Amino acid sequence: MSEDLILELKGITKIFPGVKALNNVQFQLRRGEVHALMGENGAGKSTFIKVITGVHAAEEGHMYLNGKEVHFKGPKDALEAGIAAVYQHPTTYPTLSVTENIFIGHEFVKRGMIQWRQMNQEAKKLLDRLDADFKPGDEMGTLSVAQQQMVEIAKALSTNAKIIILDEPTAALTANESEKLYRIVDQLREEGVSIIFISHRMEDMYRLASRVTVFRDSQYIGTYDVDKITEAELIKAMVGREISDMYPKPQVKIGDEVFRIEGMSRTGYFKDVSLNIHAGEIVGLTGLVGAGRTETMEAVCGITKADGGKVFVDGKEVHIKNPADAMKAGIVLLPEDRQKQGLILGWGLGDNVILPVQDELAKGPFKVKNEAKERELAKKYLEEVDTKAVTIFDPGSSLSGGNQQKVVVAKALVQDNMKVLIMDEPTKGVDVGAKAEIYSIMGDLAKKGYGILLISSEMAEILGMSDRIYTMCKGRITGCLDIQEASQERLLELSMENSRTTGKEAVK
Amino acid sequence: MAGKSGRTIDATPKTSIKSRVLSWESGLIVIFIAVLIFGSIVSKSFTFSNVLREMPKYLSELFMMYAMGFILVIAEIDISVGAIVCLAGTMTCFANRAGAPLIVQIIVCIGVGFLCGCLNGVIATHFQELPTMIITLGTQIIFRGIAEVSMGSGGSVSLSDTMGFAKIGGMVGPFPIAFFLIIIAAVIFIFVLSRTTFGRKMYAVGSNRTAALYAGIPVQKIRQICFTLVGTMAGVCALFLLATSFGANTTTGQGFEMDVIAMCVFGGIATTGGKGNLVGATIAGFTIVCLRIALGQLNMSGQTILVIIGILLIVSALIPGINQSVKNRRKAIAAK
Repeated sequence: MSEDLILELKGITKIFPGVKALNNVQFQLRRGEVHALMGENGAGKSTFIKVITGVHAAEEGHMYLNGKEVHFKGPKDALEAGIAAVYQHPTTYPTLSVTENIFIGHEFVKRGMIQWRQMNQEAKKLLDRLDADFKPGDEMGTLSVAQQQMVEIAKALSTNAKIIILDEPTAALTANESEKLYRIVDQLREEGVSIIFISHRMEDMYRLASRVTVFRDSQYIGTYDVDKITEAELIKAMVGREISDMYPKPQVKIGDEVFRIEGMSRTGYFKDVSLNIHAGEIVGLTGLVGAGRTETMEAVCGITKADGGKVFVDGKEVHIKNPADAMKAGIVLLPEDRQKQGLILGWGLGDNVILPVQDELAKGPFKVKNEAKERELAKKYLEEVDTKAVTIFDPGSSLSGGNQQKVVVAKALVQDNMKVLIMDEPTKGVDVGAKAEIYSIMGDLAKKGYGILLISSEMAEILGMSDRIYTMCKGRITGCLDIQEASQERLLELSMENSRTTGKEAVK
Repeated sequence: MAGKSGRTIDATPKTSIKSRVLSWESGLIVIFIAVLIFGSIVSKSFTFSNVLREMPKYLSELFMMYAMGFILVIAEIDISVGAIVCLAGTMTCFANRAGAPLIVQIIVCIGVGFLCGCLNGVIATHFQELPTMIITLGTQIIFRGIAEVSMGSGGSVSLSDTMGFAKIGGMVGPFPIAFFLIIIAAVIFIFVLSRTTFGRKMYAVGSNRTAALYAGIPVQKIRQICFTLVGTMAGVCALFLLATSFGANTTTGQGFEMDVIAMCVFGGIATTGGKGNLVGATIAGFTIVCLRIALGQLNMSGQTILVIIGILLIVSALIPGINQSVKNRRKAIAAK
């Protein structure tokens, strides 16, 4: 069967110092299709994208564009050939305007002068085409991640790209923003653009793609029609084994209240937030990005200062001025950004794990490090959460996102006075196999009697793991549902309540 | 207890002889010995007792170097220390001329350093968005300005009673007193940085300030302590400088901040924070001191010596990068 292939890659092998990042992989992109590229972290997806866009040169293999073999020497060649990529973390210039960001590297120049008016008009046309809610003159840094992504897409379109590659475009977006992105992708496809996108979210794939290609361990596993493969089969292709139960929610007897906050407020961020957690209970806290969930919990943990409110642990009020106070009281926060807030990536895993308790282990009045005890504890807890690492001295940066998250969990567990664990987006950017493992750890912790607060925007995991769910919107708690009465629709509805009022009106 | 997969993780520390031999510190020892050999070849007067006798002139900077090591490890910088030395020296001269007892002069000297460092720390912790390079650039101008104003039109001030300071600059056997105190300071600072939990907290703050905060480390307290400490040590430096110069003028302490930062960097401490240790800095400090003595004995001008030290510094900063690229190339070959 002769297909209308716009792009084809065959036998691609890419070697980095010490590792084969891609091993004889292949890929076919039909004209005008949306093709998902999936696989666990480290499967080689991003490297593969960089081979297509000419950032990396492959050691072996051939690449055909419109049936003709091409050799890209750099990203510029790929751009000229009509291939543009929108990366996970937009590489933007935050202090420049939207127009400047769109046309950077290919400005309209006449007689050595930049044609600002023409560029602004063209930028406006592109933004209108994407139905953007910001102006060409806006400063990039003031835009949201979703808007910045849109600028990146506009930038791709401005080069007349025929193939656009989206690398985890929805990872940082809310449900609403994702929906908008889907519409843009649909529209681009109708305009004849072929799209490759990488995502961990099954939802993205079902919503957009007609075909999906799976990589695992740097190898090509297969290409499937989206409507002919079940989710279980797909997960098996990605992880290499079957995952019987994604959300292993254990039946736990709920104990006494361990944690309660009353009337937490911080001007401009959240207002009058109260909630409680019982021993052995997993409490979900959901809402749109920007609803104030993270901000509230950061204030509870002493990272920022709340204007008012009380925190109780085991019924007794605790006064928290800094993160160390919170830890002393038994409240541990697993921060949202594990790479920046949770771990010191350049350090060994062991040093990371014992950092919160090193003073308790230390010897003598000068607090000499008790390295033997530290190593013992680090080993114990890293093994307990089943970290995929060889030694406790491996640097944090050497692990995948899921395993980094496990190290952060170990760092929480090592604090033996912990009573409440606040997990902020614990599976963000984590691949499906590691996700299941994190849920299983969460279940085990509930069984041991910890109170767990799960902050998440992912409805499936909130519904799959929680006993009780709070919703937040514009800095306020808008609802509390038992799992029996909760549904995705109901939660979304509560998350968007008062959506007519602006954040500033709701939070005073 | 092992996890579900039964996977075990190795926790035995491994320090191979090879990694010891190839470490930055052993490289520095080689350079140090090379400097000593070079000195004894080019200069007849480069003998053990001569070097020790000339040392006090250069040693005072080393006191600051240790505290600057802390500052660099927490990914900050303090370029006001040279000015603090000048201010502390000036104030001590005034105390001396007013006839204050020696102990009061010592307290004034170290106390001025303490207060200046404290001020830097207070500004840095209360205006966290300000880079400390800018803060200390500002306070540097202020400190030196105050010193110059109080010196008056003459631009210099000297001790009227040099007895006490002559004792501070004196010798015990063949060794200068400053030498002993440097060794004591070295032991304390190295111990704190490498063996205590406080040391690890400094590395944490320097490696990733946000993660350190989330891990419950009092980041601002540590910054305050380090800035106060480096100021205090600048006061100590001024004390020993007075013991060899017996006075202060507008150029006192000029360039000291760059000297000590250079020693730290040469010793393997990264200005980006979180890396290096004071063992390396100690060897580097003594290497530079001995090199200065040797070149000084050749009657080389101070400016020429600076050029040579500058070249040495840049070359030493390049070596780790070269090393890494060699390693990468080997790995790449191994993968094929």
